[in-house]
Amino acid sequence: MRQSFSEALLELATADPNLYVVSVGLRPSVMLDRFSTRFKTRFIECGVAENNAAGISAGLAKSGKNVFLCTYSCFSPGINLATIKQSICLNNLPVKIIGYHAGLLTGELGASHQMLEDIALMRSLPKMEVFAPIDATEIYKMVKVLAKSSHPAYLRLVRPSTPVIYPGRLGFTIGKSQVLQSGKDITVLGYGPVLAQVFSIVTKKSLEIVNCSSLKPLDTTTILRSVKKTGRLLVIEDHQQNGGLGEAVASLILKTSLKCRFTHLAVSDSFGQSARDPYDLYRLHGLSPVNILDTINKLCSR
Amino acid sequence: MNIFANKKHPLSAIASEVRLSVLEMINTAGAGHIGGSLSSVEIMVALYFSHIFNFDRDHFILSAGHLCPTLYAILAKLGKIKYSDLSTFSDIDSRLEGHVSVSVSGVEYSSGSLGQGLSFASGLSLGDKDHHTVCLTTDGEHDEGQIWEAIMFANKYHQGNLINIVDYNGQQIGGTTADIMPLGELAGKYLRFGWTVQTVNGHDLSALIKALKIAKASTIYPAAIIAKTTMGKGISFMENDYHYHDVKKLPAALYLQAKNELEITSY
Repeated sequence: MRQSFSEALLELATADPNLYVVSVGLRPSVMLDRFSTRFKTRFIECGVAENNAAGISAGLAKSGKNVFLCTYSCFSPGINLATIKQSICLNNLPVKIIGYHAGLLTGELGASHQMLEDIALMRSLPKMEVFAPIDATEIYKMVKVLAKSSHPAYLRLVRPSTPVIYPGRLGFTIGKSQVLQSGKDITVLGYGPVLAQVFSIVTKKSLEIVNCSSLKPLDTTTILRSVKKTGRLLVIEDHQQNGGLGEAVASLILKTSLKCRFTHLAVSDSFGQSARDPYDLYRLHGLSPVNILDTINKLCSR
Repeated sequence: MNIFANKKHPLSAIASEVRLSVLEMINTAGAGHIGGSLSSVEIMVALYFSHIFNFDRDHFILSAGHLCPTLYAILAKLGKIKYSDLSTFSDIDSRLEGHVSVSVSGVEYSSGSLGQGLSFASGLSLGDKDHHTVCLTTDGEHDEGQIWEAIMFANKYHQGNLINIVDYNGQQIGGTTADIMPLGELAGKYLRFGWTVQTVNGHDLSALIKALKIAKASTIYPAAIIAKTTMGKGISFMENDYHYHDVKKLPAALYLQAKNELEITSY
């Protein structure tokens, strides 16, 4: 995912002399070495100072630059939320905040580096749009679209290489979810690689898999249409339950007269921890394919 | 800090006018940060009326957003907003937010949360190297770590087109800045962080204008101007009393006294 993002950014920067990257002391880890040598004057290194980096990004955007602020999500927005709120959102500047190493898949780096609150924080900010691609194919398409957007945006990336399942023929549209697999028994809704796991599940149930990579704006039409059809909804996310997609969708459904059986698989008000195999953390927090299958069976048995 | 220092300066009449507008604006609204607004009057008058900068092209970033009554009064004087707008300060249907807002014509940055403006100004001056970006911060604001992040950044990128003016009035909401968090020798700190530094009497228009000219001439070093000021300047009972960091509506007698003092000391 990181690699694919870097490739897309290099292509964009070649075509757009106004494209700037603001770095926060993690250049090799966010895979921006090539960008920093090819576009030296457009690679702005702030050192380990996330608040200043967000302010610098906002100021650059004010001067008309197309700015990508690139660092770990546990630091941005983890540390610099107030600067993002005031200097970027309140001033309505189209900075693209790239949050690397989000979620439990950050693995051995442990609780401090496993950002599980980013979606909740960023969803809550006025003007901010929020996206989380399912894989390397989608991120590539997504970045090309977001580079042309005039809104502030947050883009969530994960650390390890993850399976690629996004069909090449599909594009990406802000505010649109994609039905990746059509089904009639249950809607499985989520974002990021945790959702991609659903494709590995073997079941006789007919699953409708909906990729909600545009978390804000939310594609309420596609989500409600699917839930109306299946009457059952499982939301899965590698994020805290509090403030995540599950709560957003539950609220959405409660506002309608739709009847729906609902379960939300997410991290339940707890921190992550180190694991050499990051997927052990999915097992520990009930987000593994086995857990997903169990939940589907329970929801479909009633 | 001689109050009569500006007696003959041609811009002193504007400074007096701005002070009266600030008092009236805040008293009409029934709330506002009067102490710092009054201490920063000469700084902003020197910036906007000396013609050293042209803020249609150069940039002014008010990092200390609570000093906006002074900026709003100046924008009214410049005709960017209407004088009648000033009486709407911080009201529900007014663009004149209680902390400075880009919804006001002539304002480039919405702020209020302290410590962020210098980063923003630094990014803006990096993106627009053909013009100058002037930031106004306060001494109390230097408690924020982000200010020091920005100070280091501006040194690294040789931002000769960046100027930071510090309204150093020595007071903040709960006491003196020396008591709350001593800044030590601020000029020396800027110098050691790679900036040029000037310390001036922040109520002396001639000194401020001279300092701005020198700061503008710096080509590779970011320039700090530490403007030593008096909080609540011009109203005797407010001067250097941190209880007047911000005020509610003044009792009628006090308001009249304040107004009289500002009118009498019109210099």
